[in-house]
Amino acid sequence: MIRLLALVMILATGPAWAAQTRYALDPQGSTVGFAWDFGADEIKGNMPVAQADLALDFANLPNSTVTVAVDVTGAEAGFPFASQAMKGPRVLDAGQYPHITFVSSAIRRDGDGARIDGSITVRGVTRPMVLAAHLYRAEGSATADLSRLTVILTGALSRAAFGADGWSDLAGDEVRLNIRAVLRQVN
Amino acid sequence: MGVRNTPSSFGLVSRTIHWAMAAAILGMLPFGLWLEGQKIGLSNLWLYGLHKSIGMTLLALVLVRIVWHRISPPPHQLTQSIASWQIRAARWAHWALYLLMVLVPLSGWIGSAATGIDVTVWGLTLPSVWPQTEGWDKGGFAAHSILTKLLLAVVLLHFAGALHRAFVHRDRTLTRMIRG
Ligand code: HEM
Ligand code: HEM
Repeated sequence: MIRLLALVMILATGPAWAAQTRYALDPQGSTVGFAWDFGADEIKGNMPVAQADLALDFANLPNSTVTVAVDVTGAEAGFPFASQAMKGPRVLDAGQYPHITFVSSAIRRDGDGARIDGSITVRGVTRPMVLAAHLYRAEGSATADLSRLTVILTGALSRAAFGADGWSDLAGDEVRLNIRAVLRQVN
Repeated sequence: MGVRNTPSSFGLVSRTIHWAMAAAILGMLPFGLWLEGQKIGLSNLWLYGLHKSIGMTLLALVLVRIVWHRISPPPHQLTQSIASWQIRAARWAHWALYLLMVLVPLSGWIGSAATGIDVTVWGLTLPSVWPQTEGWDKGGFAAHSILTKLLLAVVLLHFAGALHRAFVHRDRTLTRMIRG
């Protein structure tokens, strides 16, 4: 968690940092973006976050946990036909599986960011998943102010691994995630 | 020439529908074959929509045509000095053309609807006519593919027959379809 590191080093003072800080996701400004290949084109879509629970320990990163649920029924795959196809039974089957969930199992520093190991459940199938995380302070906020943060999470998954491989002749297997989470500290 | 068919002539309605549908089908056959070989992408997605819109319009037109020919029956075939097998072949071909003009777009519609993605006709979303099942999707398009080839074969036969009437027998068959 990029600036996280910097922030922690420079600003972390006192025992307040030695514990978890809980954050709630601010739906405004937060997006679960994804990109997929359609013929020669890269299509970008997004899904609303249904629920997010984040407890970050800036002094001891492995002591942090992240749980996120995404609302598949509200997803947009980039254009109407694609959204319909993606939510249909051959891909995400939103009728049966309205949520995609991610639960972290291990978080550790990785370069200027963090690596989040966890498991993701898509279409009722749970598989390990790794997300790269970078953390930014809110624009214009004081350097010590960590009450509002933006986390950028990136990763990729294979549709086939979850049995969500419908229209594999038209749509690529890899789905690249680019999640932007705006967090507000909760007390 | 009148709007309705008479026992010896094609009226304006029948002739207009015949040539409009003939032109559209002769365009749709190569268009469909070409589409089939395309890799779908954002840039050509609209062409699939266009194919479906024209195809569904043709389905509507053939139904209008069938109803119209109940109301106003087309003229009898010209049979003077025509071998009986040719008369039967022409009758059979007309019947087969009707069947295929219904089944070809219907199979395309069923295949498309079974994919679970809306079928839109000139921007209007049609109600889902078929449950979303992979078998029907594949089956519908397989049928569409075979039926379109059959349609092409019968149209060629029909075309050859019409030319044969016009240039070998030199009877009024083609003229009355053009001018009534
Ligand atoms: C008279 C009307 C129509 C004609 C003559 C026609 C003709 C064709 C032809 C020749 C093909 C290529 C088939 C192949 O070689 O596999 C094709 C493909 C296709 N047609 Fe039609 N079609 C008609 C109506 C429709 C309708 C009404 C729909 C859908 C509502 C439709 C949907 C499709 C689709 C989606 C394909 C591509 C199939 C694929 O890529 O697998 N067609 N059509
Ligand atoms: C996709 C192409 C075509 C289709 C589906 C088609 C269909 C039909 C059908 C169903 C009939 C029976 C009369 C009726 O019920 O309307 C007919 C009649 C006729 N068609 Fe076509 N047609 C096509 C193309 C052509 C072409 C290209 C020609 C000529 C060059 C032609 C010439 C005729 C003639 C002359 C008749 C009158 C036959 C008679 O009087 O017994 N058609 N056509």
